[in-house]
Amino acid sequence: MLTIGLMHYLVLSAAIFCCGIFVMITKRNAIGILIGVELVLNSVNVNFIAFDRYSQQPGFDGQITALFVIVLAAAEAAVAVAICMNLYKNINTIDVDRGDALHG
Amino acid sequence: MLAAIELSWYPSLAELGWFAPELALVGTIVVILVAPLILGRSGLRSARIAFAGALVTLLLSVRLVEQVGGGGISGLAPESAAGMLILDKLTILFKIILMLFLTGVTALWVLGSSEKEENGEEFFVLMIGSALGMALMTSTLNLLMMAVAIEAASLPSYAIAGFDKRNRKSAEASVKYVIFGGVSVAIMLYGISLLYGMYHTLNVAIIAQGVANDLAAGQNTVLISMSLFCVLGGIAFKIAAVPFHFWCPDVFEGAKIEVTAWLSVASKAAALVLLLRLVDAFNIGAMVAGHSILTYNGLAWGLGVLAAISCTWGNFAAYRQSNVKRLLAYSSIAHAGYMMMLATIFTLPGTTTSGKPMAALMIYLIVYAVMNLGVFTVAAIVSWQTKSEDIGAFSGLGRRAPWLAVPMVCCLVSLVGLPPFGGFIAKYWLLLALGSKMAETSLAPLSWILIIVVVINTLISLFFYFRIIRTMFLSDDQLPALSPPFLGTAMANLCAVLLLLFGVVLINEPKELADRYTGDMYKPTVVLTSKDVPINAPGDMQVARSVDESDAMQIPALGGAQ
Repeated sequence: MLTIGLMHYLVLSAAIFCCGIFVMITKRNAIGILIGVELVLNSVNVNFIAFDRYSQQPGFDGQITALFVIVLAAAEAAVAVAICMNLYKNINTIDVDRGDALHG
Repeated sequence: MLAAIELSWYPSLAELGWFAPELALVGTIVVILVAPLILGRSGLRSARIAFAGALVTLLLSVRLVEQVGGGGISGLAPESAAGMLILDKLTILFKIILMLFLTGVTALWVLGSSEKEENGEEFFVLMIGSALGMALMTSTLNLLMMAVAIEAASLPSYAIAGFDKRNRKSAEASVKYVIFGGVSVAIMLYGISLLYGMYHTLNVAIIAQGVANDLAAGQNTVLISMSLFCVLGGIAFKIAAVPFHFWCPDVFEGAKIEVTAWLSVASKAAALVLLLRLVDAFNIGAMVAGHSILTYNGLAWGLGVLAAISCTWGNFAAYRQSNVKRLLAYSSIAHAGYMMMLATIFTLPGTTTSGKPMAALMIYLIVYAVMNLGVFTVAAIVSWQTKSEDIGAFSGLGRRAPWLAVPMVCCLVSLVGLPPFGGFIAKYWLLLALGSKMAETSLAPLSWILIIVVVINTLISLFFYFRIIRTMFLSDDQLPALSPPFLGTAMANLCAVLLLLFGVVLINEPKELADRYTGDMYKPTVVLTSKDVPINAPGDMQVARSVDESDAMQIPALGGAQ
């Protein structure tokens, strides 16, 4: 019978991380990239909680950190979406390739 | 070690006193937010409140200088969470520089505010919020706190980069900033989660020991390198070191010029201090774990190469720029590279961080802040009055506004690093620190490479800084004379005079100054990890005040805590 162990969570987290990175690289839509960032942050949370649950040492640093990461992700999403809306008002698109007023 | 926090723990009044500068910043934010409710909206009043708040914070920081001993303290946390918030002279010095710079940027905002819509409240709340984040960034050795502080510094910065809402460039700049920033912070957090998985703590002092043990035994090398790369990448993004610098020129060009000035000094300096602190903690961890060999040879070379590439790339790219804000962006990348070279020194085992490297860091930070403030003040006045950010707008400035052109020359010569200005002293001490500390170790080749890179880069930077000077004095497009505001002229000239003073005074022996004002970096109280590694610490190290397991388990019941 299969018992779920630390390794399963780590594989899940690594898979989510890779999906997030893939989304960040391939999406040209600013919101799409932000979704990739959120995926990576969720893989971070899975990591923290799994490591915490299967750790032999006392402590709950991991779970507390996961809470902080959730809050950070929410704050960042709020700021990022506002900034994207501002871009949309200016150039009528949130395609990051179309933002070419700056030649970086 | 959060488990060991007793729930009945509260900071004492003395400990809150150590935190007073940050509390003053929070108070300033509250006052700026509440004042418009009572007195009506006024951008100028917000600027005044921000100015006063910065001065109060400055005074509170100065008051702490005498209270904190050489080694620093870890206050505002129970002993078991040591390193969560630390206070040493480096942190205090950084806060003093930050607050002086904040007053300068506030004055700059007031100078340009006649052309802006009245939303100073939001601007200063965001600005001071990011200052708070930066102050926290420099005073922690805990990875969770580090991530929170970086976000606290970044999120308001994203918003103020796009503060000019109707400007297309500004909108694009903030989108670029928030996307690059979000990605790098997310990846940094992934690295942190891996480190947590390996060592079950977020305390850098303990992680450093584990990393040193594992590297010496050849275990987990790939995983450790990967997670350290993620963490350092997040910090390098804030510093804008070269592979992570793409946001920097665009954000600097798109943002308003006072925001550019703020980001070019404050956010870079904060990340740099954080980097040095982490490297130092890793160094101590290796020593305590008993690995006196160069455990972090790879780290030193990595940081050194990153720094060398940053300053070379920054200087070459600056050469092609015609927009003065982009030029200064690349110049700031180059200067961040010079300062990052100091990080390689901190990887040397047995280095006491006080003395020459600390002196070099202190002088470089101060001088860099002053010369950037001077350059940005002049550039801001010129761009406001000519409505152009092109270098062509400086044409004939020597005739049009001599009282702006002369301090600009002083600041630019100082940025190149020529005597008799402060920039020369900063570079001199950087080279001295590189030469004297590293030349005797196995990192000698690296130190010589870095010294040569600094010298060559100084020559390269001569060309593009002098291009501005040439435009100001040798070409004249018959543009009309400027009428610079008195406050701006005074600020620019004050910066120039300060640079001259630094150049004359600091050449003597800033080592005493550094010992007095930066002291030693906070040395983490090292808790030995469970594997009972041999204690082989140098004399002055505090070792093995380990968290008592039995204490850790006795968490008093909620409610009965008092």
